[in-house]
Amino acid sequence: MKKILAIAVAAVVLAAVPAGAVDFTTYVALGDSLTAGFSQGGLVETYQEYSYPKLLADQIGATVFEQPLVSEPGIPPILMLQQLLPSPVIVPSSDTPGQPLNATYPAPYNNLGVPGASLYDLLFTTGDIYNLLAGNTDNVMHDLILRDGEHTALEQAIGLNPTFVTLWIGNNDILGAAVYATPIEGVTMTPVANFQEMYQQALGALAQYTSADIVVFNLPDVTAIPFVTTIKPYITLPDGTHVPLIGSKGPLPENAYVTLGASSLLAQGIGVPVEIGGTGIPLPEDMQIVGGHAVPGVVLRPEEVSIINDRVAAFNQIIQATADAVGAKVFDINSIFNRIANEGHWGVGGLEINTDYLLGGIFGYDGVHPQKIGYGMVASELIDFLNTTYGLKVRGELIPQVNMYDIMTGSAEDQPAPGLTAQDARRAFTAEAFGALQKVFRPLRIDVPRTPRHPAGRVSMAHPNVKSQAVMH
Amino acid sequence: MKAWNDTEYTEGRRFDVLNVNRKQLLAAMVVLLLVPTLSWGAGFAIFEHGAKSMGMAGAFTAVADDPSAMYWNPAGLAFQQDKGMQLMVGATLISPSQDLAGSPLGSYPGAGYKASQESQVFYPPHFFFIMPISSTLTVGVGAFTPYGLGTWWKPNFAGRFISKRVDLKTFDTAFNLSWRANDWLGLSAGVDYAVGQIDLTTGIGFINPYTQQLADVGQVHMFTDGMGSDAFGWNISAFAKLGYGFTAGVTYRSTLDVKYDGYGSFTQYPTGYADFDAALGSQIPFGQKVALKTEIKHPDVMSIGLAWSNEQWTISGNYMWQGWATFDSLPITFPDYPQLDQTVEEGYKNVSNYRLGVEYRINEMYAVQFGGLYDDTPQPEFSMSPLLGDADRRGLTAGFSVTVKQMRFDFSYMHLFMDQRGTDGISVDGFDVNYKTSADLFSMSFTYQF
Repeated sequence: MKKILAIAVAAVVLAAVPAGAVDFTTYVALGDSLTAGFSQGGLVETYQEYSYPKLLADQIGATVFEQPLVSEPGIPPILMLQQLLPSPVIVPSSDTPGQPLNATYPAPYNNLGVPGASLYDLLFTTGDIYNLLAGNTDNVMHDLILRDGEHTALEQAIGLNPTFVTLWIGNNDILGAAVYATPIEGVTMTPVANFQEMYQQALGALAQYTSADIVVFNLPDVTAIPFVTTIKPYITLPDGTHVPLIGSKGPLPENAYVTLGASSLLAQGIGVPVEIGGTGIPLPEDMQIVGGHAVPGVVLRPEEVSIINDRVAAFNQIIQATADAVGAKVFDINSIFNRIANEGHWGVGGLEINTDYLLGGIFGYDGVHPQKIGYGMVASELIDFLNTTYGLKVRGELIPQVNMYDIMTGSAEDQPAPGLTAQDARRAFTAEAFGALQKVFRPLRIDVPRTPRHPAGRVSMAHPNVKSQAVMH
Repeated sequence: MKAWNDTEYTEGRRFDVLNVNRKQLLAAMVVLLLVPTLSWGAGFAIFEHGAKSMGMAGAFTAVADDPSAMYWNPAGLAFQQDKGMQLMVGATLISPSQDLAGSPLGSYPGAGYKASQESQVFYPPHFFFIMPISSTLTVGVGAFTPYGLGTWWKPNFAGRFISKRVDLKTFDTAFNLSWRANDWLGLSAGVDYAVGQIDLTTGIGFINPYTQQLADVGQVHMFTDGMGSDAFGWNISAFAKLGYGFTAGVTYRSTLDVKYDGYGSFTQYPTGYADFDAALGSQIPFGQKVALKTEIKHPDVMSIGLAWSNEQWTISGNYMWQGWATFDSLPITFPDYPQLDQTVEEGYKNVSNYRLGVEYRINEMYAVQFGGLYDDTPQPEFSMSPLLGDADRRGLTAGFSVTVKQMRFDFSYMHLFMDQRGTDGISVDGFDVNYKTSADLFSMSFTYQF
């Protein structure tokens, strides 16, 4: 009888332990600026606290989730809206950047999203906090976040013995083509073969050296961001007729895109035909290298958009196939953004927020990165995905949703009240604002110092302090 | 023992009374248009059109022995000729209670959020007048509110961008001709003229580009004035005495496709950012009253009943089918401002409800009623909202009738229990909460036989 009872009890106990339950004890997020909580052109505590990994960590009850927090006004100083009408003016909020707040944390951060990082950087680039503190700004974000001078983001993630990992990498392997309005193989876009090799290497290492449940994000359409979609390639006259703007290759077709980088040029009459009051000087369409520095173009013609979109699709196929091969789940952020674009909004609380610049609610002033509400939306969709994919709702272990009402109605302490100045001649994205963005999103192969090492060399990288936490297994 | 209404004393006086009271009756019908009401049947249907029938939980299609038969089964009028002219007036006081709590599966308003509706008492009235015009024909006129909903939330309610307050009602004026074909069969046909009213106030929210947070930038009050927002419908019914105390009835009421012409009155709330306010003002007609149109196709309804009676008891059952699939969406269009157009997805389904009622006639003066009902909700979970968060409902009823000469007074009470129900992450509005609702209904009717 006792034996039967014991078996019965064992059966009950076994039934109570769900097969395949996700262990969220140690969560590590890998990625780029979108993972870091980069917003308004800068990395700053007030937005990092709303990064999607931080929001998710709060909801899964992670006891430790450290981020490389930066004091206000951020690194670089975040942008601010100086005026909305008669035309928007976006400027850096300060000339002096913020300071690292958490640089002595004696372990790798749980949020290892590095603004500007490409897939290559995930695998090969390190950073040294002493380099940054010495005043060198050649590798700011990696120095700030990776700190130890030796271990890559991937190595540090593995060193944390994560039980759950999210990986959203690859945006910067194509985003440069949109920000610089010039798709160039190997310069603003990573070649497909290289991407495939590196993605397999990165995800393979996570699968091999950790026992974590891994969720990878695919890539959204980088030509659907407000930075690209806001400015029309024509000027509408009072009678409704369209006068095309002028690019260096001629008048722009109606289905071309003009990036926010053109704002200050347009304000000076550049790109505007003489007959309607402009200078007739064409907009620079494509990126040029001047003195070893990239000078961005500001026009994406339809054929360039096709090249970029095709590349995103190719990368997403690789992401899906690689994830399938190692048993990782794919969070299809691409479809979510497309759905929002097609439906015109993301419904929340009876409100309709969308991807419009400034008034849409999802994106911040840089036109590339979400603001708090947009990151909340990503976290909300991710939690839905996790609850569904891992059957958490069925098992009664659901991750409670983020609270968008709180995110949307929180205090506005991080935004100083705007004061109108005499800079009204400039439109939207000022040259300074654009310059700040370029410092973070440099072309892949122009001027960013790299520390390429073969992955095989990583196994011996055990060191005290921060480094001791980044031992590979 | 006679039933309360087995009287003959109105013979010979009926037409004079009608002439005297015509103006008052019309006035009463106009007043009825003005009162608020709300939903207490499945969806936003209202079934409580007579205190006695409510006391029997609405199991009245095969009973139909008082003027409220105008709603439940007009063919029953054919067998009320011996009562002469009858007038019934009354109202149902409805005291609803609804609380909601944020669902952990939804991101807005979030787990832990709680809100309760403001206290309201509604009193949808009913009015019926029936008059025999020959030995086999009876005409009836009725005014009642077959559809309505009313919800009201506090000003800072998190769902204010969906609804702050709504009062929607459809007022039905019915005219029926009932024919007693023989001693056991009555038939009736009628027309319904429905007037719809909508009064809906919602907040307007935008993300303030300076603070990048939600700002209440204004509200819109959408309303119709009853003029031109109308529809015609029709109804047919049959009532049969089957013998051995059994009676049966069937009623069909057509859809009421009400097309509303109304207005949207926009009010702006300053945010403290003048150029943001100006930008909004260029898109939204603040300070103006602009035309709007909408349409609600109310369902067709079929009710079938079977009852058994002897001198003291009546036991009645009722099955009702409602074609709520007609209410698939609620389009609100602003012809002059198409950018403000919106369509609320509703996705209702056809439903059934079930009613069982009993009456016990104690003596010539007193009778009591009891009943129970089950209503299946036509509203899918995804379209539950602060406008209407419906659920399957169970009701228990009790009633009491007093007859004094030509007068009868009916009183009844119903308590509705509704299942706790929520959207759990699938709300079409992005407003995920669990709703908990109950209601107490008190009905009073006064019937006079002329």
